[in-house]
Amino acid sequence: MKAQNLLALILIPMGLIIAAVPPNTTKPYKLTAGELLAEVNTRSQYVTPETVADMLVNKDPTLRLIDVRSSDEFEKFSLPGAVNIPVADLLSDKYTEILDQGVKMNVFYSNGTIAANEAWMITRQLGYSNNFVLEGGLNYWFDSIMNPQKPDNTSPDEEFAKYDFRKSAGMALGGGAPVQAAVDKTAPSSKPAVKPAQKKKKAAGGC
Amino acid sequence: MGPLVVNEIITENTNLFLAFIIGIGFGFVLESSGFSSSRKLAGVFYGYDTVVLKVFFTAAITGMLGLLFFSLFGWIDLSLVYVNPTFLPSAILGGVIMGLGFIMGGYCPGTSFCGASIGKIDALVFIGGLFLGVLIFGLGYDIWEGIYMAGSMGDPKVSESLGLSDGVFGLLLIVVALAMFRVAEWAETKWPREEY
Repeated sequence: MKAQNLLALILIPMGLIIAAVPPNTTKPYKLTAGELLAEVNTRSQYVTPETVADMLVNKDPTLRLIDVRSSDEFEKFSLPGAVNIPVADLLSDKYTEILDQGVKMNVFYSNGTIAANEAWMITRQLGYSNNFVLEGGLNYWFDSIMNPQKPDNTSPDEEFAKYDFRKSAGMALGGGAPVQAAVDKTAPSSKPAVKPAQKKKKAAGGC
Repeated sequence: MGPLVVNEIITENTNLFLAFIIGIGFGFVLESSGFSSSRKLAGVFYGYDTVVLKVFFTAAITGMLGLLFFSLFGWIDLSLVYVNPTFLPSAILGGVIMGLGFIMGGYCPGTSFCGASIGKIDALVFIGGLFLGVLIFGLGYDIWEGIYMAGSMGDPKVSESLGLSDGVFGLLLIVVALAMFRVAEWAETKWPREEY
């Protein structure tokens, strides 16, 4: 048989198969369950409120707070400069550029830590890095930063140092007053628009 | 699973090493298929020898089918595979310059090194010209930059522009390639060359 006919006999059926089957759109998960469990056990995804408060006060440009609660809750109160990506919309294409990047430190927060952890786990499984969870969520944020409790007189010095830091950070971030007051201050102005992602980023390489 | 480097299954250095091994294999196949002969290569423009067309199109559709099937099996994530960005004006201009060089010199850049490796003088001269061209482009970059960077289109795929799925476009390409092989063989009998 002529080589060309043989080639046609092999290539055309393969072409027919590939034309007939739907394209594979599933994304292979990056981490095995064991690897993810190991990460969860080290609690390496958590960022303390003190770290976040410090970055906020210093206006650290690498920090990006991501509010994973619903947009209603986000409207009522959000941390300064936070963007709103509800967990339900996490996989929307327009947020890919925010979640899958190597420059900024994304910190998810919700009221507690459950929704934030959900967001973290999903993005981690997609293979995204630089995503973290605010330890204790907003509830602990208010307890620790906005309304810190003065430690007992018998407490060690570190406790007082922590208290002083929390108190000054809280003041700088509009705390030190009842929670309600803070709500008014951080009204719509603290809401940068989320720009829709143009195109999915690809790994560089090639010839 | 794939691409191996992007998913950090192999390191950048291992990748370069694999490229080195594959490169040697590629060069060997090129030489043994007669791609080190400028007359054979130039034959594709005159019709007496179309092996260049057949070999490169076979390679392209084989590679394409491989990638599509790998993607189907979930062995490679095609969205992570690098696609050269398209600059249409400079691609056309570059294609014309490269084609002229190909007809006149009888080599394309890769095959000139293939020819040089077995000591072909014309291949060495071609490489000299190649470096001259690189120098002219590099030193005069300010002059060319406007044309070079004009008309950025991102990295579109032909299948996307036509609104076809990758698989359907793949099948079309295979059929077109096989038809072209027929035409090429016909051309070889129509404009034969006795000896080269």
